[in-house]
Amino acid sequence: MYQYTSFDRQFVHQRAAQFRDQLTRNLAGELADDDFRPLRLQNGWYIQRHAPMLRVAVPYGELSSRQLRQLARIAREFDRGFGHFTTRQNLQYNWIPLPKSADVMDLLAEVDMHGIQTSGNCIRNITSDAFAGIAPDEIVDPRPYCEILRQWSTLHPEFAFLPRKFKIAVSGSVEDRAAIAWHDVGLQLVKNDADEVGFKVYVGGGMGRTPIIGTVTNAFVPWQEILVYLEAVVRVYNRYGRRDNLYKARIKILVKAEGQKFVDAVNAEFTKILEQDVDGREHIIPVSELERVSHHFQDPNGVHPATSAFDPNRTGPAPAAFLRWLERNVHGHRVPGYRAVTLSLKRAGQAPGDATDEQMEAAAQLADRYSLGELRVSHDQNLVLPWVREADLFSVWHAAKEASFATPNIGLLTDMIACPGGDFCALANARSIPVAASITERFDDIDALYDIGDIDVHMSGCMNSCGHHHTGHIGILGVDKDGSEWYQISVAGSDGSTLSGAAVPGKVIGPSFSADEVPDVIEALIDVYLRQRQADEHFIDTARRLGVPAFRAAADAVRRDTAAPAAKPAVVAEAAEAL
Amino acid sequence: MSAAPHMNFIQAAQDPWRAAVGEYGPLPSPPVAAHSLLTLEQWQAVRDQWPAGLPVGLTLANTAEVEDLAEDLPRFALVALQFPKWTDGRAYSQARVLRARLRYAGEVRATGDVVVDMLPLLQRTGFDAVQLRDGQVEASARRALAIVSEHYQGDVHQTRPLFSRVPA
Repeated sequence: MYQYTSFDRQFVHQRAAQFRDQLTRNLAGELADDDFRPLRLQNGWYIQRHAPMLRVAVPYGELSSRQLRQLARIAREFDRGFGHFTTRQNLQYNWIPLPKSADVMDLLAEVDMHGIQTSGNCIRNITSDAFAGIAPDEIVDPRPYCEILRQWSTLHPEFAFLPRKFKIAVSGSVEDRAAIAWHDVGLQLVKNDADEVGFKVYVGGGMGRTPIIGTVTNAFVPWQEILVYLEAVVRVYNRYGRRDNLYKARIKILVKAEGQKFVDAVNAEFTKILEQDVDGREHIIPVSELERVSHHFQDPNGVHPATSAFDPNRTGPAPAAFLRWLERNVHGHRVPGYRAVTLSLKRAGQAPGDATDEQMEAAAQLADRYSLGELRVSHDQNLVLPWVREADLFSVWHAAKEASFATPNIGLLTDMIACPGGDFCALANARSIPVAASITERFDDIDALYDIGDIDVHMSGCMNSCGHHHTGHIGILGVDKDGSEWYQISVAGSDGSTLSGAAVPGKVIGPSFSADEVPDVIEALIDVYLRQRQADEHFIDTARRLGVPAFRAAADAVRRDTAAPAAKPAVVAEAAEAL
Repeated sequence: MSAAPHMNFIQAAQDPWRAAVGEYGPLPSPPVAAHSLLTLEQWQAVRDQWPAGLPVGLTLANTAEVEDLAEDLPRFALVALQFPKWTDGRAYSQARVLRARLRYAGEVRATGDVVVDMLPLLQRTGFDAVQLRDGQVEASARRALAIVSEHYQGDVHQTRPLFSRVPA
């Protein structure tokens, strides 16, 4: 993984010092709260329901055991003993008092971490495939490019105050595990006929109130020119993106409104940068730089490819639970003799993506013993051990069970994506955690979960879509009506993976449900699938084939609180709003 | 890196530049006077008559296309860009294009809602003068310029990104 240079280290320490200066001025009354807000946001500090929330950047999801131990320490000493891993591969704390924030930034800087651009209307922390560099289906390792993009976007002086937030995701494999078409910019690494590396560029995807899939603005930007191309995209957005209406300010609205004119403007700007600007060619990436950065992402010392001859039943029949765990939580690897192991953060009694300080310590220890000290944070809010020897799998399973990470549910219904929701988030319209808990309780039978098979259930507590409800095969969205919580359910959304099909937002199945009804509705939708599935259909296939009506009827049949006309909230299906 | 570029903190009382405004806003035909700070419309009204060598400045909305000014730019001693709200970042792009593309060498001044913590961004995108919003502390602004000493990407002064800089 990337190792900080003395430059990087000086940079994060100076950034922490800058934040301390701002905090000091704020606490002294010199810097007004309103003016401090955008500054603290760009360091990851939100003011939330109970206390500030801190979002720590985990660049493209790579984490060392040393860093995770420091995150555990911060959870223990400054928070209430836990953190929440997010769909953007970051970690959030919920209980750190603002006056302590500068101390926490210093502790993060000690382990080469920070909260830079994890919030605010700027280029956010770049996300990628949790299996980058180890996936068998990889075309090009995206991590060196992610790092080069991280450096380019970090404290970019021109793009710190864009119309709205700006998210970039990079994928280098056949399978898209980073939902790139749903990002402001999605970058797919490709090779052309001459075997040269470049990027297929999607611009203007996004969730929120108006879900839109990104448009391909360029089918092949040579890797050397990607910073120049992105500079052109973001400059066009900075100059022409709407600033009059918060809900129309994302680049997706500009791309949708302007269409080909947007693409033309980007191309014109790209050409001008290269041909007219004093420094226009300075940001063409030299081979030497790609090589320097790539050097950081060579396989770590200690990786010894071995003949892949793993047989769980070699010394007699393996326990059924171990086989299940192998099937769901263990993944193929580029290096023979190795596997990637997902540590499930989806288990009864804890919110999806949450880990206590003790669990973080345990995961760090697992990484040290079995994964050369490295971990990944996945888009699905789990942790991954990227370097597990096949010979160690049985031991890892035992150790993971011990630490509560071995729920064999990866890709199954209870491997839900969920935001923290109204329990913590000041933006949320409704709570996510109790609803996720009630669904997890309802589907506690592992055999039933296996029978249901692969399915993405995604839940967001509000339209900001942190829980990616638009992309759920079943999507759940918290909405507020007259001060109480309701949940809008959609079906057949897709993140763009092979299983889910081309990226598309789910369709709302009708008026919202009460919290108590949600588990019944989910069960009713699953029943439709179980009764009507054909041959090898997954839930998503059946959902696409049957369409909304079959699911709407089944869901309506289990309404209780929302069955009587008087109690029925007239919540408009916002997700279906016309573009 | 070479010595930090100069940043001029404008004190309104000592500032020679004057907008040509009357009771009803910008004068449609501004008088010819040294250090007039004109709007684009005013400049268009007087550009053909404006004497060479008489200092004139232009104040530009952050929606203006700076590239349309390429021909006239050498005539301006000052271009004042605007921040109607400090979190509206359009003028950073204008400044960058003025310097890097159009090679504008006169003063580029930040006006409007300009606050202390914008200083590093302003400097790096090519502003060399700022008129801080009332109540901002100049000492803090000067300090803000010096906290982060070097950056990854190039800018108007350090045109090379880190990866192509010669190590010190």
